[in-house]
Amino acid sequence: MIRVLASLCLRAVVVLTGAALATFALLWHAPGDPALAIALARYDSLVPADVVDQIRVEAGIDAGFWTAFQAWLSPLLTGDFGQSSVTGRDVWPELMTALSYTVPLALAGLLIGITLSVPLALLATRKAGSWLDRFAVGLASLGAAIPAYWLGLLLILLFAVQLGWLPAMGARTSAHLILPALTLGLGVAASLTRILRSGILEARGQSFLPALRRRGVAARDIERHHVAPHAAIPVLTVFGLELAFLLEGAVIVEVIFARPGLGSFLVDAIEARDFPKVQAVVILAAVLFVVVNLLIDLVYRGLDPRIGERDA
Amino acid sequence: MRSIFILMSALIMLAICGPMFAPHDPTQINIPNRLSPPSAEWLLGTDALGRDILSRLLHGARWSLGLAFFISIIGLCIGTIAGLLAALGGRFVDWVVMRTTDTFLAFPDLVAAVVIAGVLGAGTGSLIFALTVTGWMRYARVARGIGLSLQTRGYVMQAQLVGLSPLSIARWHYLPSLLPSLTVVWTGMFARAILGISALGFLGFGVQPPMPEWGTMLLDARIHMRSTPLQMIWPGLAVVTCVLATT
Amino acid sequence: MLNVDGVCVKRGGKPTLQGVSMSIAPSRTLAVVGESGAGKSTLIGAILGMIPCAAGTITWNDAPVRRCKPALVMQEPRSAFNPRLCLRRSVMEPLVAQGIAVDAAHLAALCQGLEISADLLDRRPSQVSIGQAQRVGILRALIASPPLVLFDEPLSALDAVTQKHTARLIADLQQNVGFAALIVTHDLGYAAAFADDIAVLRAGRIEELTTAQDFVTAPQSAYGHTLRDAAFALGALEQVA
Repeated sequence: MIRVLASLCLRAVVVLTGAALATFALLWHAPGDPALAIALARYDSLVPADVVDQIRVEAGIDAGFWTAFQAWLSPLLTGDFGQSSVTGRDVWPELMTALSYTVPLALAGLLIGITLSVPLALLATRKAGSWLDRFAVGLASLGAAIPAYWLGLLLILLFAVQLGWLPAMGARTSAHLILPALTLGLGVAASLTRILRSGILEARGQSFLPALRRRGVAARDIERHHVAPHAAIPVLTVFGLELAFLLEGAVIVEVIFARPGLGSFLVDAIEARDFPKVQAVVILAAVLFVVVNLLIDLVYRGLDPRIGERDA
Repeated sequence: MRSIFILMSALIMLAICGPMFAPHDPTQINIPNRLSPPSAEWLLGTDALGRDILSRLLHGARWSLGLAFFISIIGLCIGTIAGLLAALGGRFVDWVVMRTTDTFLAFPDLVAAVVIAGVLGAGTGSLIFALTVTGWMRYARVARGIGLSLQTRGYVMQAQLVGLSPLSIARWHYLPSLLPSLTVVWTGMFARAILGISALGFLGFGVQPPMPEWGTMLLDARIHMRSTPLQMIWPGLAVVTCVLATT
Repeated sequence: MLNVDGVCVKRGGKPTLQGVSMSIAPSRTLAVVGESGAGKSTLIGAILGMIPCAAGTITWNDAPVRRCKPALVMQEPRSAFNPRLCLRRSVMEPLVAQGIAVDAAHLAALCQGLEISADLLDRRPSQVSIGQAQRVGILRALIASPPLVLFDEPLSALDAVTQKHTARLIADLQQNVGFAALIVTHDLGYAAAFADDIAVLRAGRIEELTTAQDFVTAPQSAYGHTLRDAAFALGALEQVA
């Protein structure tokens, strides 16, 4: 077990290093003179060449790729995300502010997704092939096909523009959270329903269940002890995918609803060519993603004893 | 397999033939006619610059579907080569290729695509690059998995024993067995590419105006949501229909 | 000639072959017998260079075995062919790999010797019987005229009548074509009837290595005795003795 843990952790470290390198390499090779871009963003007019050179030295751009990479990575390891190349302020506090908008949105979206999908999947699997089941499957595939940005616009159109019930833009009150969370949540619900449904159906089809029933084990106990844990495994494996969905969904949804979260932070940073901010978001997403997947992998091994040490 | 093939050919036909049925030039600006409602002349109405929405939709199919096809096929080639390399290249190559795959999977793929396309500068080239770089990993995993299981088959051992070149082994013994699974992955990635292209277009990092692309059209339509809400429905509907058709 | 000298193989930390030595002269047949798990398949893998040796050497005429392009006849004839290709393609594979043109006369002679009709080669593996598939497998092994052919349980997937027939065909071909054969089998009757020498493998070691005749009349090891007597009891050795 310790060997498995060590090898999984080692793998996570390797992957994260690769991710950091890939991110840095992309921004390093971005077209245009980054020093000039920073200068323009800061002073908002034509700047003399010596100012640009000064910025180049200051931002470590003249030092070469590996030196610059090290200069970026070493403080990063201590949690220092550096300073915005445009405003010169620390990236970390601004990132935290953005996160304080994104995390509630993602959690609310996840909550909506779960509260919609669990009852729907349970009802649908009562009788496979019934109209309710087909309805659930249809809804799930429709939900997977509707892009979040369009769903968001439709919700705005209906609830904000036509009916005028809910606010659409910004994040001033908690009512502002409803439409974005709904947009995210419906997408999550669609994919969760599909996975839950097939998981439950597969768990009910386990070959030893008829034997248990014949021996007089109560239906409720079978559901609790044999069906539920089995159905949980596929849900768990896609949780990492859901997280990705939530993150990228949040990026788009925040842009649509003009919510000052991580998505707007990222898009604004890209447009301003404020690379330290872009790097911060990307690395944060990668760390979150890799750590969650590592945890899932561990829990998964705990839940399913068939997955031994062989594929560590 | 057959139904996938039929659906895909139908979508490709749409991309090729669609523009032929367009009643107007999709980039023809006609300010006096701006934001006109659907009529006999403008079947779905006109946009903020007076361009015919139906024509833009039909031409947009070429951008959205054509690019999605292109992107998913490049991804297929890269991913299959990477996966076979991992399966056939021995432990070290396998480790390197799979950790590379993991690294690319470490980013939520749309976020990565947005960053890549945005940083490289908006345009069709960066769009293709961004969606290809973030879209080959699933092929690689599938190809590697099947490749590893094929290695224990008698006929693969025979081919290796008689000294058939690795390229011929891949061509005759691996590819035919990989194709069915890869086709399934491909339809999924095709749908993902359609969604990705329009998402990047919507964020302003994709196909650039005045080219008609569904995501970009949606971005334009959004501004006039209050006056002409219908304008926003059509491009979205086109995306959903195409994605539903492939899944 | 094939020389196996003091070969040790470890798999998963456990030794599966320990100090195995044997040799086969051109056109001679050596049968390796032993129960499942004795290390027979490992021996084949080691000779073909697919499993690395921890110690010892395996050579053909003082060069690595792979250089003489040895051929292998597998236990499961169907899975030895790509199900998507017609048999002819698979049969030609050794020639394609070595860049040799097809010798029509040689092919016809082999087909006749193996009782393979012309149309059989145009079918897929799933369209022929297991016995036919195994004969095609032997055809593929011999098409490039290798000096050494390994047979991994060549008969065990076949029914009793086909077994006898196929064994006869292999023996006749060896007479006509001439190749050194190493036959791995658990069928002592087959080994005794068709091989020149018999090696008894047990738990990764050679228990004894004698001529087939000597083995049937007077095994030297206790284990050899047990094996022989068991085969007699089953009636497998009646004809040979």
